Amino acid sequence: MEVFRLMKRKLSLLLVFILLTGVLAGCGGGDVSDDPSPQDEVEIAYYAYNSEPILNWDPSVMFSNGIIVLNNIYETLLRFDPKTKEFDYLLAEDYSVSEDGLTWTFNLREGVKFHDGTEMTAEDVKFSIDRTMELGKGASYIWAAVSEIVAVDDYTVEFKLSYPSPLDLVASSPYAAFIMSKDAVENAEENWFENANEAGSGPYMLESAAMGDEVIMTTFEDYWNGWEGDHFDKVIIKKTSETSSRRQMIEKGDADITQSLPSEDVEALKETDGVEIVVEPSFTNLIGFFNTEKQPLDNPKVRQALSYAFPYQDVVDYAVGGYAKQSIGVIPFGHWGHSDDLFQYTKDLDKAKELLDEAGIQDGELKLLLTYMSGDESEKKSAELYKAELSKIGVELEIRAMPWETQWEMAMNEDPAERQDIFIMYWWPDTSSPYSWLYSLYHSEEEILFNMSYYSNEEFDTIIDNAAEISGTDIEKAEEEFIKAQEILIEDSPSIFMYDKEEVWAINSTFKGFEYNPSYPLVVFFYDTYRSK
Amino acid sequence: MLVKNYIIKRLLLGLMVLFGVILITFFLTRVIPSNPAAQWVGPRATPEQIQQATVELGLDKPIYIQFIKYFKDLLSGNLGYSLRSKQPVINELKTYLPPTLELIFMSTILAVVIGIPLGVNAAKKKDKALDHFCRFFSVGAVSLPTFWVALFLQLIFYRWLDLLPLGGQLDTRIKMLYEIPDYTGFLFLDSLLSGNWVVIKDVFSHMILPAVTIALYPIGLVARMTRSALLEILSEDYIKAARSYGLKERLVLWRYALKNSLGTTVTVLALSIGYTLVNTFLVEAIFSWPGIGSYIATAVVALDYPAIMGVTLFSAFSYILLNLTADIIIALDPRVRV
Repeated sequence: MEVFRLMKRKLSLLLVFILLTGVLAGCGGGDVSDDPSPQDEVEIAYYAYNSEPILNWDPSVMFSNGIIVLNNIYETLLRFDPKTKEFDYLLAEDYSVSEDGLTWTFNLREGVKFHDGTEMTAEDVKFSIDRTMELGKGASYIWAAVSEIVAVDDYTVEFKLSYPSPLDLVASSPYAAFIMSKDAVENAEENWFENANEAGSGPYMLESAAMGDEVIMTTFEDYWNGWEGDHFDKVIIKKTSETSSRRQMIEKGDADITQSLPSEDVEALKETDGVEIVVEPSFTNLIGFFNTEKQPLDNPKVRQALSYAFPYQDVVDYAVGGYAKQSIGVIPFGHWGHSDDLFQYTKDLDKAKELLDEAGIQDGELKLLLTYMSGDESEKKSAELYKAELSKIGVELEIRAMPWETQWEMAMNEDPAERQDIFIMYWWPDTSSPYSWLYSLYHSEEEILFNMSYYSNEEFDTIIDNAAEISGTDIEKAEEEFIKAQEILIEDSPSIFMYDKEEVWAINSTFKGFEYNPSYPLVVFFYDTYRSK
Repeated sequence: MLVKNYIIKRLLLGLMVLFGVILITFFLTRVIPSNPAAQWVGPRATPEQIQQATVELGLDKPIYIQFIKYFKDLLSGNLGYSLRSKQPVINELKTYLPPTLELIFMSTILAVVIGIPLGVNAAKKKDKALDHFCRFFSVGAVSLPTFWVALFLQLIFYRWLDLLPLGGQLDTRIKMLYEIPDYTGFLFLDSLLSGNWVVIKDVFSHMILPAVTIALYPIGLVARMTRSALLEILSEDYIKAARSYGLKERLVLWRYALKNSLGTTVTVLALSIGYTLVNTFLVEAIFSWPGIGSYIATAVVALDYPAIMGVTLFSAFSYILLNLTADIIIALDPRVRV
């Protein structure tokens, strides 16, 4: 018995010892990466992302964050560069469009290999887009104009349209335009995409993925553009939802690039050695839609008055920490179709009061309900600043935070009186065309979808429809028309054009080659980037 | 025999509570104004897509039929599909549960290894410096906000001292360099089994901060409970008798007194694990720990009701199980047995 007790005592001592050594060993954990290993020369890029990198691996369906991953693994026929308004040729070498704008012919790049080793042909392109259209999920509607896709020969694809549409912009969309290996997808077992697999031709291949947490990608040796020059060997995109964690990782150089930091953190990082802050335009803007089917908001004068009462500069300064610009028109800065010459409302309470008087609105008579998406701090602050201004001109504003779906449902109520008076919403383009804003938000709708002003103006509809049709063949002329359409909008003011958001990136100074393309929101094209110490 | 009846009674009661939880959470998540079909198809869906999804998800049927279907699925182990990821919730739970369980396991060990000795020594040195320290520490441990402790520890050990990693379960670079076998799904266990010291070290160092953060509450609780239970027992006659026999104080304290006080401590510990589970929800988000807490945090924000229900059910189930364990421990104590 005594022996047993002694053993027990010794055992517990041993246990404590093991635990202690464990703790000590653990404390040394920070320098694990210094351990010599054969793969030390491997250059790794690290993107600390604020949300799940990807939730849906199906390139036909994915219509969310996942573009930050898929745009490195898959390629599209073209890529749009909003700065030059020109296209980069990826899987297509060139393309042409018939005079009526109804037949688009793409000549494909030869010798492109998919990650499964098969070579890309016209069949793959036809298969990919057909599949996306047939599934009918996600952003597949961007192909709505396409009636038939013909593989003319191995390297020529013809898209036949039922009405003119800028197919080059569609084919360069960040969503639903990916080309995948027909062979790989057809022979895939059930739930192949769901279990994190890919069939792309892009510079990086999927190495491993932890669902909703991180994605590791590695170079694809046979990439058609080759691996000459400096590139990263591997890429990590990891969910890091805490802003304080993202900031500390950038400060210490553990992460190479991140975004969506609060403005206080951005200010602090500006002073940090080895970190660069880059502010870029984004194509996301915040719009406040008036319920134009409800009295007295059906009166343009009242809407103009309310547009004059909005504290644009305060909202930019305090609601988004200065990282935005007051909108001019509905198309954001840097996007084609934007014009600095358009009329811009400024805060002018006297003017607002005058217009309200003209419309016969008494002091204290107007009570409005504004809804915004719960959880969005910038929308909330903007609404509160607006409320303060409105109270000065005798307008009472009730602010209500709602989950997106609920807010949307309220806006679709059959009885206009039951809907909100002002609906705040962000918009960003699904294809890089002014039509994405002007059509989705202001074209007459039979069934309410995103036209939250319930705006309906035949003249406006005709102009943008025509502009959209010619934008595939004559982009300059189309741009003029889209600007003309915005003049009508600004006069009618169915909405407050609040601000165009800017994207703030915090980047490790050894991380080079990054150029933000706002047509592909938050995407880092890692093939272009490299490390330079 | 009596104990057996008691346990059966408690079990049945537990099942009833579980059913109640299912019923309430199901209807609560449906009462919340939201449109799951619109969520299923994403933010820019066409009305046709939404209509199609409504049928696909069975949302066009009356709510009691939906409940019957949900309950039936539940019995066959199907918790439905997450609205965000479109994956079966049961698979997601299987992915996210092991990291959380590891964390809870570690913090419970810490609570026992640190809490009990602290309590015993405080009782031994009643009203001395150590006792005051123990009181100060316990009250602090229980009352400091977890998120504050977590951020504070990160600042010290990651930013300033550079000793421990910021978050996550494993350094991604380590993961890329070494093959970590998947024997059990529990990373720490798997790394131990693999015998790769670099991996073990890394996994362990990632665990320290979150485990300590979570362990603080149970440590404080266990220390206080052990102390007060011991003090009570130390005034009992049989302890006086033991002492008067001239038994060594250490023997009296650790063998005779502590053993008798453990019932209370274990009960408190079992219940505090339930609390710990909820606590991980916050801590995991801060430490980017890929567990059930991070999962529910995103699910709640996105109103992903199948995921919310899945986690709620799991939490309720664990709570009931832990309560049951505590009850059984008490029931097995001969002093309680009637």
